[in-house]
Amino acid sequence: MSAEMANEIKLISGRSHPELSEKIAKRLGIEVARTVSLNYSNQETSFTVGESVRDEDVFIVQSTATGDVNEGLMELLIMISACRTASARRITAVIPNFPYARQDKKDKSRAPISARLVANMLQTAGANHIVTVDLHASQILGFFSVPVDNLYAEPSFLRYIRENFNTEDCVIVSPDAGGAKRATSIADHLNTAFALIHKERPRPNVVGRMVLVGNVEDKIAILVDDMADTCGTLVKAAAVLKENGAKSVLALVTHGILSGNAIETLNSSVLSALVVTNTVPLGDKVQRCPKLRVIDLSPTIAEAIRRTHNGESVSYLFTHAPV
Amino acid sequence: MVRNIVVLGGNSHPDLVQSVANILGVPPCNRILTKFSSGESRCEIQDSVRGKDVYIIQTGFGGNGSKLNDHFMDLCIMISACKTGSARRVTAVLPLFPYSRQPDLPYKKSGAPLFKGGSENGKMDYTFESVPATPAPDLPRTLGLTNGSDITNRLAKTTSLPNGTSAGAMSPVKPINGESYLGANGQGVATPGYTTHDYENMSHVGAFQAKPGYKQWVAQAGTLVANLLTCAGADHVITMDLHDPQVQGFFDVPVDNLYGRPLLKRYIQTHIPNYKDAVIISPDAGGAKRATAIADSMGMDFALIHKERRPTKITDRQNATMMLVGNVADRVCILIDDLLDTGNTITRAAKLLKKEGATTIYALLTHGVFSGDAISRVKASAIDKIIVTNSVPQDEHKALLGPRLDVLDISPIFAEAIRRVHHGESISVLFNYD
Repeated sequence: MSAEMANEIKLISGRSHPELSEKIAKRLGIEVARTVSLNYSNQETSFTVGESVRDEDVFIVQSTATGDVNEGLMELLIMISACRTASARRITAVIPNFPYARQDKKDKSRAPISARLVANMLQTAGANHIVTVDLHASQILGFFSVPVDNLYAEPSFLRYIRENFNTEDCVIVSPDAGGAKRATSIADHLNTAFALIHKERPRPNVVGRMVLVGNVEDKIAILVDDMADTCGTLVKAAAVLKENGAKSVLALVTHGILSGNAIETLNSSVLSALVVTNTVPLGDKVQRCPKLRVIDLSPTIAEAIRRTHNGESVSYLFTHAPV
Repeated sequence: MVRNIVVLGGNSHPDLVQSVANILGVPPCNRILTKFSSGESRCEIQDSVRGKDVYIIQTGFGGNGSKLNDHFMDLCIMISACKTGSARRVTAVLPLFPYSRQPDLPYKKSGAPLFKGGSENGKMDYTFESVPATPAPDLPRTLGLTNGSDITNRLAKTTSLPNGTSAGAMSPVKPINGESYLGANGQGVATPGYTTHDYENMSHVGAFQAKPGYKQWVAQAGTLVANLLTCAGADHVITMDLHDPQVQGFFDVPVDNLYGRPLLKRYIQTHIPNYKDAVIISPDAGGAKRATAIADSMGMDFALIHKERRPTKITDRQNATMMLVGNVADRVCILIDDLLDTGNTITRAAKLLKKEGATTIYALLTHGVFSGDAISRVKASAIDKIIVTNSVPQDEHKALLGPRLDVLDISPIFAEAIRRVHHGESISVLFNYD
């Protein structure tokens, strides 16, 4: 008999993505803990826990919704801090799309490394463990001094491609040099060809000239990336692929941030489909964009939570997607 | 002209930044502070801060289409950007400290649960007993007012609001009111009219119920905010009239808590005729110290309003819940408090004072947040004149309240504090001249 009493998973959901939390809870066969978050009239965020978390294994699921990143982040920090002061044994922040992941280096003088700031803030608030999906740069793991489990959407993507396409007709394309590793990994697993688009980017959120490296003629070109924000890159890349003779072009992206005019851009593009996961709340975007398909990633996240709680290895999930 | 000082402003209060910079004789630091389309803050400091003494001014106020949490994150990002940009020292200047008012706990220290009947919620008129709006599934709901709307607008809005959420369908994880707090277009926050006092009302969060036998645990964010600022890299914090002076103890770095008191005193001396005959009133016991300090130093009379929060089987609620200690009949009353949020406390106090025979009522407050229904409530109240400082932007409030509102300028105090901190001079002498 161990000295410590067995504890339970307490799944706490923020306001940003309740659907995902519900799915995870259902998968784990538990209920989302009774909590409530609200904003006071002076806009300060308040959070109340309605059940004991003392000595429990707390998992806080909070994605960050497009356009309201800071609100979600602040709520998450307050939730973590509240559970910490309420004597939770361990607090794991489950952040499917890590906020500020793209601001991870000092690319200009006096530019903030906001990703590191977020990492520090999470630890200051009291997070003991982080679970996230497809970090923009895996170096962000180094910003933390607590364990971080970076899950991958890749196994789910592989299954999607195998189920929907004849892999021999496909070519995996990386829309930029930075994503080449991610794309080659998928191409290797599927045993398909690989191509790469080189782009120049004069300013953030603006896309410059594009050059295709590789052959996509008469193939189904599958663009693979970690996030789709304004979709400028993807749509331009798709046009380049079409010009180079691709039969059809679709994109597989983990985080569908889809900000600004992304939906309109997509609807008028040559992309036949954009496949995203549900790490980011999509709201009514699925209705507004017929090209948008969503892969449910909650089994992977739920399984990671279960394994973390039971002290089992999580690395199985890097190569296998639970059904 | 002061060398080596960099004054960097957030988006929450550009006017204050400008006037502090003017007084110090340095131009505000050039920076880009916007949002990416994804909603992440984008910050670039365009002037060198290497080896400089940086003062970042950002007040804890969201309104006029901006959000408090955005401002706070911006502040942390700016601090961190200056730190990584090799600033010698970074001082966060927060005229109004966010999250400084801790929510009232649902239970008193004695453990006695505080139940209030749900029936008194949802009253539309601002009566003596008006409490801040607390929407619940079965009650009429008042959406938080943006400061621009008037009361008729609000009433129209409330009645047309679909009340379809049944208690059963409301699970704790769903956004309150069934409406997402993420304004899809990014502008205008749908702020439900909750206030920090709502924890007195057990019905405050609709269908939310703590597990049987468990007293709910309310997050107290003050410590967190303090830790986040130090974690971002703030070496020093300057703020004004902290609601709870204990917040100062949450920090590991020096905190200078400035006082608005001298400003308020000067106003009383210069603007209130025969002020020596007036009575200083504290609207609640918590502010008694603040008010007596002023009354004592000016040799004025003092009275106090005692709020009885414990419901004692009330039929004549008005007398039972609030009582005046002191005499105000036929005298000018000066209410002193540190913060006006929804205006509930102060307007109720004014009502009581009028009932007790006060002739004219002034309300002097350091921070005028005017959230939720505050503007309408103040308009409908017995307060003759309300005086606040510009620790948060007051332009809109001034436009709505007109000559009833007077705004005192705090930028000289902050500029002087910054100058003194920079030169390593004493701050306390700033407040010793009375």
